[in-house]
Amino acid sequence: MQEVALETAINSIRVRFGSQALTRAAEMPPPQPWSSGTPVDQLTGIGGLPRGRLSLFTGSGTSGKLTVALSLLAQATHEFAHAMVIDGGGFDPWMLIPFSPEPGALNVVRAPAPEVAGEAAATLARAGAGFILMLGGVPEHWLGPLESGANRSGTVLVGVVDAPNRALAHASSFSLGFSRHDWIWERGQLVGLRVTARCVKNRVAPPLGETELEIRYPLGTQTLTDHRVQVTEVIDGLEPCASAVV
Amino acid sequence: MRVCCGLTGHLELARRPDLYGKPVIVGRWDEHVVAASEETLPFGVTPGMAMRQAEHLCPQATFVLPDEEATDRIRELISASLYDLAPVVEVRGEGIAWLDTSGVAAPGASIRDARHRLLKAIGREPRLGLSPGPFSARLAAARARPGHLLRVADAREFLAPLPSRELPLDAEQLERLDLLGLRTLGAVAAIGPRELESQLGRDGRHAVQLARGLEPDHLDAWRPPLFTSAHRQFEEPVEDREALLFVARGLCSDLADELGLRGAGAKHVRVRLELESAARETRESVVRHPLSSTVELFGLIGGWIKEWQPSASITELWIELPVLEGAGRRQLRLWAGGDGTSQEVEAAMERLQERFGDGVIARVSFA
Repeated sequence: MQEVALETAINSIRVRFGSQALTRAAEMPPPQPWSSGTPVDQLTGIGGLPRGRLSLFTGSGTSGKLTVALSLLAQATHEFAHAMVIDGGGFDPWMLIPFSPEPGALNVVRAPAPEVAGEAAATLARAGAGFILMLGGVPEHWLGPLESGANRSGTVLVGVVDAPNRALAHASSFSLGFSRHDWIWERGQLVGLRVTARCVKNRVAPPLGETELEIRYPLGTQTLTDHRVQVTEVIDGLEPCASAVV
Repeated sequence: MRVCCGLTGHLELARRPDLYGKPVIVGRWDEHVVAASEETLPFGVTPGMAMRQAEHLCPQATFVLPDEEATDRIRELISASLYDLAPVVEVRGEGIAWLDTSGVAAPGASIRDARHRLLKAIGREPRLGLSPGPFSARLAAARARPGHLLRVADAREFLAPLPSRELPLDAEQLERLDLLGLRTLGAVAAIGPRELESQLGRDGRHAVQLARGLEPDHLDAWRPPLFTSAHRQFEEPVEDREALLFVARGLCSDLADELGLRGAGAKHVRVRLELESAARETRESVVRHPLSSTVELFGLIGGWIKEWQPSASITELWIELPVLEGAGRRQLRLWAGGDGTSQEVEAAMERLQERFGDGVIARVSFA
């Protein structure tokens, strides 16, 4: 009798809020990786960024998180019909040129307010946009729809913020903390920076540790489009991470 | 052209699956036999013969009155269920379903699905034939075992040994062919179209083309209907917006199911509220990309309802889709990977532009 009542309750929740509102654990598929071909893939533990989950890149200014995110975005424009940028302000598409993106697949949402950013991200994730890069946070009440929408459609969600608030950090399934520990100088000129990318949270696999990345900027008299920003991994070995806390 | 034909038996027989395996004759008394089950064939019963004669030949058969309306409904349902498997689908009441699989990325998968759907709709395994055209595909299917596919590479070669009685000619013309000694399709193919035209008229030329595997006939593609709507009348007038949203979601879900079945999308959406004051409030919009899923429909309609300030309590909610057309969802199998989702993303961007203005979405160009 109780089972019938429970089944009725489950059905009424599904009718009321949609079929995805309540899912049996056994019916939930494991996260599928999207392989970006960047060193970040190794850090996730599943060979790529998790589809349908929120990945966060955090760190202070000039720590390389945006450069890595842009390289992922450029890669996504070649692989998905729609790669979206939710721009909270300050995104310039020309920043992408050194990464050779496919402009036909790229759309930018100019969100004048966090509310618009939240609604746009949730709507596009629910509709099934392949890749969404969120520059800036979204209001807490949009995180639920965003997560469930992405989960249903398999959207790769990447957020870039300096320091996530508690709700955003909690909503993410995978977080990478970036920190710059060195500038790279050659013949007296600044040519790049060396950063550490450290897994600070991982819900999809055991937290794997950290890696060192070298980001080299284009220099010289050549035009900007002749150059590609290089993001290379310096350390191959992965060290175990001590903790995985938000 | 690669046409797959599925033979299921006359759809009049599909109305009575409980009589499968028994001799059944469908027709009105004093008229002709509309359909007869395979079990009556050994007794010499064929469609078109007088009912009295059929009764004389097979008195133990169950006689059923035809119901054209019910048969049309079954035909519509089968057409709709096959619609996303091939660009052109034609279903006839005689129990013939054709799918033109030309250009389909995975024709094998389409044919497998067609078999399953026909089995589900009719309750019997269809016979399947795959050939360059509808005529040879039908003859191939007629020679396949139930649930199996007979594939024909060279239509003329396949048709040559078959009896000329398979040609779509009337009894008198067939008798004339017999008198001319043209008893196989190969013999008909060997004769010149003009020669047979002089004997049988225009049908003679057509018959030669069919016998040569030239497939002069084209399929008459089924298209989904162009209008649909759903509504809910409330027992008590409603003021609660949440309740209205709940009902709207349910109606959107029903409409999406129907659109999915038809393989259509809504190009025009209209929401109508009937108020307690006998007034009526309407909101409508033409959308750039056809909406076909619950998410798309409710994304638009739910947004309207959230902002709506009705002047009185609501007694009835109508959602009308006055203009339907092939949607992104339509014939999804025929699209390249991601195309279907792409349509939904385009529709989502359009909704965002409707809410926040065109400038909210910028398409990037480095030119």
